[in-house]
Amino acid sequence: MANARALDKRRKSIRNIRKITRTMELIATARFKKAMDRAAAAQDYTDRITQIVRDLAGAGLEVSHPLLADRPDATSATMLMLTSNRGLCGGYNGAVIRAAMLRRTEITGAGSNLSFEISGKRGISAMKFRQVAIDQMYTEFEDSPKFEQVAAIADRLMEEFISGKIDRLDVVYTRFVSISKQLAVTETLLPFKQPTAAELSAQAGSDKAGGGKSGAKADYEFLPSAASILEEVVPASFRVKLFKCFLDAAVSEQIARMVAMKSATENAGDIIKQLSRTYNRARQSRITQEIMEIIGGVEALES
Amino acid sequence: MSDLRCVIVTPERTEVDVTATSVTVPLFDGEMGILKNHSPLVGRLGYGVLRIKDAAGVATRYFVEGGFVQVADNVISVLTDRVAMHETITKSLADEAMSTALAMPNTSPDQTAIRDKAAARARAMQRVAK
Repeated sequence: MANARALDKRRKSIRNIRKITRTMELIATARFKKAMDRAAAAQDYTDRITQIVRDLAGAGLEVSHPLLADRPDATSATMLMLTSNRGLCGGYNGAVIRAAMLRRTEITGAGSNLSFEISGKRGISAMKFRQVAIDQMYTEFEDSPKFEQVAAIADRLMEEFISGKIDRLDVVYTRFVSISKQLAVTETLLPFKQPTAAELSAQAGSDKAGGGKSGAKADYEFLPSAASILEEVVPASFRVKLFKCFLDAAVSEQIARMVAMKSATENAGDIIKQLSRTYNRARQSRITQEIMEIIGGVEALES
Repeated sequence: MSDLRCVIVTPERTEVDVTATSVTVPLFDGEMGILKNHSPLVGRLGYGVLRIKDAAGVATRYFVEGGFVQVADNVISVLTDRVAMHETITKSLADEAMSTALAMPNTSPDQTAIRDKAAARARAMQRVAK
């Protein structure tokens, strides 16, 4: 029979672990709410810039920009992977790393050069373990990425793309679909894809159905000129799109951690229950055994 | 139905959402005043001061750093990377921004572009600083 004292000790340590995971769950919940609010607040800018792009397209303007140019014979690519700095968040990092490795073999298999950029300590250490060359590392992004930091990365990547150093940019991150659903996805951000006119009008239709902005058909005056605005609008929407990837990743990380810690807490509870049962059984059988020994001793003395 | 609404959004959040009687925006090539019932407009912003005058005639001043302005249906949407209260832009802050801009490396075209951008921002700050 198991040693009762050892069982008790184990039960105590699991109780401590449960306390810790429970606290981490609460922290993750609080952080998730904060990250979610940030993401919601950032949505406004995205909506408005989409509106401007829609108006530009509505003005019958041909949308052309170096960032939009498709390059069929891509020889060098950049992949940016967004992982977390901390662990204990279930399959969050694993899923992203798996998706990134898949895309990596795809790209290198096609014979193009790949420069690999990673944000988050977890992804960096995983790739070091796999002995994958990392070209650029970022560890400054926590649960609330700053737009300035993301914009700096976006500017550098845009510059590299326009100057021809890279032909495409893939971002591997966890997209936030809903609170109960997050997906590790690979998205090609460069060449940048403006939503097409058909998509835009479909979106406008749904906006109107939802009581959204009207007046999309207004006849706009462009200052100083439509071309000059376009020149600025494309980089701005690329920046904000990359920022949205970071925000999504941050929200998803907190959800993943919340879920992982919740199940860890529940699991600890189960183990405690099981251990208590075994402990009580061991204690009872020891007592029974002692009584038996005493009775046996008494009977031996009597006879 | 008398209000001109002015909304300033940055990629991080909506900074300002107020009603106004007149708004002056710093466009790429000069300032522009917008009153009620202005025709629809999309404009590119430069660095400079944005003034919002409310019904009491009190002007609130912000320092915006590039972006766009869109006017439609008496709603002025200002999309900018960064916005600050005008009072927070001081002479020392502007000078500091200028010296960091001038200290930037200037050996390749892209570095020059970044440096020029920072210098333009610092110059605008110096211009508006009190």
